[in-house]
Amino acid sequence: MELLLNLMINGLATGMLIFLLAAGLTLIFGLMDVLNFAHGGLFAWGAYSSVWFYALTDSFVVAILGAIVTGIILGFITEKLIITPVYGNHIQQILITLGFMLVLTELLKVVFGPNQIPAKTPPYLAGSWEIGDVIIIKYRVFIIVVGFLIFGIFQYILKKTKIGLIVRAGVMNKEMVQTLGINIKNVFLYVFIAGAALAALGGALMAPYSGVIYAEMGMEFAILGFIVVVIGGMGSFPGSLLAAILVGLAGSFMAYYVPSLSLAVNMMLMAVVLIFRPQGLFKAKG
Amino acid sequence: MTSKYQWNNIFLTLIAIVLFIFPFVADSRTWTILLTQIFIFSILAMSYDILLGYTGIVSFGHAMFFGMGAYTTAVMLDRMEPTIGVFVLSIATGMLLAGAVSFIVGLMTLRLKSHFFAMLTLAVSGLFLVLAEKWRTLTSGNDGFTFRAPEFFKDRMVFYLVTLVCLVVVYLLLRRFVQSPMGHVLVAVRENEQRTKSLGFKTLHYKVIASVVAGVVASLAGSLYAVSLRFVNTSVLTMDITLDALLMTIIGGVGTLIGPIIGAGVIELSQHYLSGLAKEYPIFERWIIFFGIVYILAVIFFPSGIVGTVRQALHKRKKPAVLEKSSSGTEGL
Repeated sequence: MELLLNLMINGLATGMLIFLLAAGLTLIFGLMDVLNFAHGGLFAWGAYSSVWFYALTDSFVVAILGAIVTGIILGFITEKLIITPVYGNHIQQILITLGFMLVLTELLKVVFGPNQIPAKTPPYLAGSWEIGDVIIIKYRVFIIVVGFLIFGIFQYILKKTKIGLIVRAGVMNKEMVQTLGINIKNVFLYVFIAGAALAALGGALMAPYSGVIYAEMGMEFAILGFIVVVIGGMGSFPGSLLAAILVGLAGSFMAYYVPSLSLAVNMMLMAVVLIFRPQGLFKAKG
Repeated sequence: MTSKYQWNNIFLTLIAIVLFIFPFVADSRTWTILLTQIFIFSILAMSYDILLGYTGIVSFGHAMFFGMGAYTTAVMLDRMEPTIGVFVLSIATGMLLAGAVSFIVGLMTLRLKSHFFAMLTLAVSGLFLVLAEKWRTLTSGNDGFTFRAPEFFKDRMVFYLVTLVCLVVVYLLLRRFVQSPMGHVLVAVRENEQRTKSLGFKTLHYKVIASVVAGVVASLAGSLYAVSLRFVNTSVLTMDITLDALLMTIIGGVGTLIGPIIGAGVIELSQHYLSGLAKEYPIFERWIIFFGIVYILAVIFFPSGIVGTVRQALHKRKKPAVLEKSSSGTEGL
């Protein structure tokens, strides 16, 4: 029982981190048909900047905010410099965002050094609760709560506000939205920046969770993010949450019961989904 | 047109002859090794260009075929005896394996749209990397293992000549391939897949053939790479190899066969010099960042790479002359 609960919490926490990365990816893809291979770089930059801000100010809140601001700035630069020039050409998009990913990763090594950097958990989130004989690690619960909170906020924005309406309509049919006199490119810029900020937030939360950060973690998580986007259905926000939880749980249970397969299970999951149901488990309804 | 083609051929033959004579004239170990490396990566980059430049497919899993060749050769030379016979046999086995895998993977994935294909190839090659890391009895995982190369290759110069011959042969075969009717269909798929399909071509069929050809050639490059290092570890299966092939192809020029060779030369040479500079200026430790920036600029401003840009420039210079001719021609009428 205790084991099962811990594996579940583990899986949920990992799933939430992947969700923060995948949420941006899925909306960007749904809205503009752009698959951003540089998204993992934004995630890694979020992690590094949060650790840097935390070391500087000793405040976890500032660290998180710093990471989000970094994400917003990088997202703006990426959209303006990298995505806009090759808009509409899939192959160039794939090539250029991958190149930018390379630059972001290497830039991290230039700025922060090529070695792993330890990341501290803030004291009020460190440690664990003991309920009966079940031990629950506080920080993991914190990640799960934040994840659901973010999901709620974004779901509210998508469903209840005007910009959310435009985004949902754009995912369904962007030409139609344009015909109605809305500049979809501006909307896309906002969505891209929001997605980048979410990815950076994911990175910032990831840092104390794994204890160390390194430049290549961006690519590792980006692959998980892609898997989630494919499984959840491109452009589907709730789909990416469910798929992220699925991938997180599958990873955590497999890592315990069949460790040698833990890395492969998600890739196989994606391969099966892509071959038999290329539109993903959930169709994008916006 | 024919004369231009002939000039091209004469030029290439001259370069090949110079490269053949080079190790006999200049007794430089560094250069021999560096050029061998360039030849091997030229083969890899050319095979990648069959996919990217000719068929218009972006694969992020090209490293798996390279790694397959490298591991097949390494394991066979290690387990059996290190002779030329085993070496040739291992190359053939590696090619067969890569051909079979690329056929199956291609059949499953090539019907998908470009994004999905790129992601799925990334995932499949990730699977192979995991497999190589876990199957320690065969691959020794990340630590890798050293093995003895055939006695014949002990001399660096002999191996240099072998790789050069491989490069020339692969170049000629691939040129024959892209100039064949089949190659023209591949270009048609790149330009407009829907239209090619409606003309009655089974595009999936052609794309699978392209991916098999690319996989087989990449496996050859992997085999040569393993022998050149006499060591193999899981790094031959990583994303870095695919990225190298991608950078070389893009910077050199997509859609040509000479482009990837030039790209391989440019990247390997600058890598060599930049890592030399790193001793004085630590920023050059991260030389890849420069390539990343050059690569991004190339994708935006010079999508046809060095070769394509040069060709366009030559073409532009000639164009006014052609126009003059035709206008004077009409005047005459």
